[in-house]
Amino acid sequence: MSFFGELARRLSMLFRRSQFDADLEEEMRLHLELREQQQLQTGMTQTDARSAARRRFGNPTVLKEKSHRTWGWQWFEDLLQDVNYGMRAMLRSPGITIVALLSLALGIGANTAIFSLMDAVMLRSLPVKEPGQLVLFGNGTDSGISDSFSNEDLFSYPFYREMQQKNQAFSDLAAVFSMNHRIHGFVEGRSEAEPMNIQLVSGTYFPMLGVHAMIGRTLTDEDDQRKDGSPVAVVSYSWWNRSMAHDASVLNKKLKIGSTVFTIIGVAPPEFFGTKVGDLPDIWIPLSMQKEVPPNFDGYSDNFSESLYLMGRLKPDTTLTQAATNVNLLFRQILLGFPDAPLSQENLEKLKKTRVILSPMTTGLSSLRSKFSEPLKILMAVVGLVLLIACANIANLLLARSTARTREFAVRQALGAKRSRLIRQLLTESMTLALAGGALGVGFAAGASRLLLRMVSSGQATVPLDVSLNIRLLLFTLAITCLTAVLFGMIPAFRATKLELTESLKDGRGQTSAGTKNQLAKALVIAQIAFSLVLLVASGLFLRSLINLTNVDTGFNRENVLRLQTDASSIGYTYGDSRLLSLYQQIEERVSAVPGVRAASSSLFTYNEGSWNTRVSVHGYDADKNRNVKHNIVGNGYFATMGIPLLAGRTFRSQDSTNSPKVAVISEIMARTMFPAGSPIGHRYGVGGSEHANDFEVIGIVKDVKFGSLQEDQQTLDYYPVTQHIRYLNDFEVRYTGSLDAVLSAVRRAIHDVDPNLPISNVTTLDEQIGRSITNQRLVAQLSTFFGLLAVFLSCIGIFGLMSYVVTRRTNEIGIRMALGAERSHVHWLVMREILLLAALGIAVGVPAALAGNRLISSMLFGVRPADPPSLLAAVVILLIVAVMAGHLPARRASLVDPIVALRCE
Amino acid sequence: MNRDEIPPGTLYLLILKTIARSGKMHGYEIADSIQRTSDDVLQVEEGSLYPALQRMLIKGWVTAEWGTTAGNRRARYYQLTTVGRKQLAAEISQFKRVIGAITRVIQTA
Repeated sequence: MSFFGELARRLSMLFRRSQFDADLEEEMRLHLELREQQQLQTGMTQTDARSAARRRFGNPTVLKEKSHRTWGWQWFEDLLQDVNYGMRAMLRSPGITIVALLSLALGIGANTAIFSLMDAVMLRSLPVKEPGQLVLFGNGTDSGISDSFSNEDLFSYPFYREMQQKNQAFSDLAAVFSMNHRIHGFVEGRSEAEPMNIQLVSGTYFPMLGVHAMIGRTLTDEDDQRKDGSPVAVVSYSWWNRSMAHDASVLNKKLKIGSTVFTIIGVAPPEFFGTKVGDLPDIWIPLSMQKEVPPNFDGYSDNFSESLYLMGRLKPDTTLTQAATNVNLLFRQILLGFPDAPLSQENLEKLKKTRVILSPMTTGLSSLRSKFSEPLKILMAVVGLVLLIACANIANLLLARSTARTREFAVRQALGAKRSRLIRQLLTESMTLALAGGALGVGFAAGASRLLLRMVSSGQATVPLDVSLNIRLLLFTLAITCLTAVLFGMIPAFRATKLELTESLKDGRGQTSAGTKNQLAKALVIAQIAFSLVLLVASGLFLRSLINLTNVDTGFNRENVLRLQTDASSIGYTYGDSRLLSLYQQIEERVSAVPGVRAASSSLFTYNEGSWNTRVSVHGYDADKNRNVKHNIVGNGYFATMGIPLLAGRTFRSQDSTNSPKVAVISEIMARTMFPAGSPIGHRYGVGGSEHANDFEVIGIVKDVKFGSLQEDQQTLDYYPVTQHIRYLNDFEVRYTGSLDAVLSAVRRAIHDVDPNLPISNVTTLDEQIGRSITNQRLVAQLSTFFGLLAVFLSCIGIFGLMSYVVTRRTNEIGIRMALGAERSHVHWLVMREILLLAALGIAVGVPAALAGNRLISSMLFGVRPADPPSLLAAVVILLIVAVMAGHLPARRASLVDPIVALRCE
Repeated sequence: MNRDEIPPGTLYLLILKTIARSGKMHGYEIADSIQRTSDDVLQVEEGSLYPALQRMLIKGWVTAEWGTTAGNRRARYYQLTTVGRKQLAAEISQFKRVIGAITRVIQTA
């Protein structure tokens, strides 16, 4: 208690310091005067009385200081004084200050922005109870529905139940469908279908994570007991906010999804975004209802419909290794125990080899993470280098300034100031500068991280990631700010205060100390140039990769294709039904008739949308050659719409129907590698085991196309006609001429003429779709180029600053040289020579560093080797040009020195 | 006249006791009173009173408020707090203990 009382008194003194000093002053004056009067009364003279009073009192100044210090704020007042002094010093040279602040703000801001994204994507723990105890079965690379026996990532619902009962490692186990259902549904009282991102989860999902509803309740195991038994839904906070505008009466509202009416039973808490970073579901529905949610997968009681991710909470005393042993033992037991297990020799072999790994799930699942962790690490390194360059720059500026202050420090040291006190003052000045820069940087980062988020979002909607400022981020920024202050402040502080007193006092231009200071400054500039070179070379490589990617032959014609998505599953069309087929056929027909439309077609996929693949067996061909083939189901106009050239045979036509023999068009590489020599046209093959070998007849061969990404090799692809495979084909593409906007609205009208309720979403162009598939390459190329140029700019300022300073210092010497007959051009060359030498040294250091560093980024490159001579050469040339430009002004100034003026100025 | 430095550590004791005796005093009065009460034997560097008073303010032994002197001058008057009175008692008993011990040592011839 007394401690706090004391602290409160000390603090109140702190805020009334000037009042305090005035009071003390008055008090002491009164004392002296009263004593003086008292002495006068003893018969002394005025002068004697005064000096006696003073003698008895002691030294008032010392006593005042002592009283003041008693309150214990000395350090703070020193600090204030230093900060104040630092600010004044900064204001005295506004040019230096602005450059320093801007480069700090950019450097720190860029670091903070990249880190905020890294934090959101890679580092932040899931907002659930003790996320450290969560583990995922497998590593979450696969998603979808697999029927390959013993998949190590995906599991069936009956498997989940068996595992839940039998395991000894987990306090609870939950399952989620491995992909979200992005469909359309109806909110009670509204007539228009709305997009909904639905995640199917086991009833144990919320209890296992320890997440409680903000309103109502979450799903429980009760909701997940009987197939189709529990039409309930939990909605996310953000959906509640977006679609229901925080409607307080959200509970018991109905949602019509497919043909089933679901009741909303709860709203999840705001911070909960599910378990997959960057993919926030709108609605959670129990897995028991999966058949009712379009596209109506029916795997609830299928022992081998492997579609779920399993996640468990480890018991407190169980290690990951123990759990893995337990899980793998049960994995075999459960799979072999299913009565309908397909126990072929092949499958048993596979089961023997399969091992389910358990991955820690502290930070959740993320497809963003695998996609962006590499680019983010690279960018983090890039902005780190930029910050280092900025530090070198500021160190140089401060060094130059502290050299100019040599006399000041000499005087202060001569008057008794301790060196540690001076160093402290200089470091405080640096810290003030850094903190100001850091504060600007945080402001800059707030905008930049939003921009970054936009840049990494490959879809039209921004990825739902929280990149707002948080404590961790601010601590990170504070840490790098302090680090930069120490980095750029330390050397000048120690340099400036180490001096030969008499030497400096004599003229303030001690030739010896200035010489070593220049060495240091030059080393800093060389480091800047070397770092800039590394950045320039890297950005050159990334730019070339991006250009190579944009020039890749996709196999189809990416120009003038409009692509949109429809969702027939949401409005009552059934899978396999002829109504669905006629919907697609009518739409194709209507849209094709729109003016400006050349061709139109539905398809299962276009580009970069995942895949559906199976093993294929070719009739009469070596079984070893069988391999996975990716399938696409398309309308008759697909090849014309996409502009995929037909190489042999024919494409689909209206005669190919449910009743005619099944036909397929195959890709060039499939024709070449999977069929016996000679033309494969007319050849038969099948999907699945050898018993299917006669399913399809090859009727045509088309050019190879890019299917998943621009980087991939040729894909073995086949195409089936929708007439023979009536599935939900959500992609619809249109080849058009003229204005996109006009065509788009006509296309929309045409589609809604066929069915006014059919939801249309994700409208884009094929070209844009391709662009989005290389988001991270573009991100890295653009940002590294930006930062590379920034680095060069900073180095330019560095060179300019150093050389201007050197020229000023050497005015005298230059004057003498000129008086002795040196040519102006010679003086010019004298300065330029020094600059070129610096640049050459920087490049000599930078080239090996760049070569070593670039090996680390080879996975991000496309079509260029890490040691790419053009990129290296371009970087060297750019740096040389910049160095010459930066040096030109100081060199010119040197050559214009008037010997008379120069000599007189000493 | 022979004047003695006060024993180290007793300044607080002297100030506390002096204020306690008359309730409310300003700096000059405290210094003057110490000297007169000790028959001019105890010599305090008068100014050193002030850092000591600051320390006592921090500790909460005394409070200060501005008032006017008999000569109609503004002066800061110090007053003991409850904590201050307890401290005074503690200082006195500690001082007596020390003096007693020293006396015993001296008398043991």
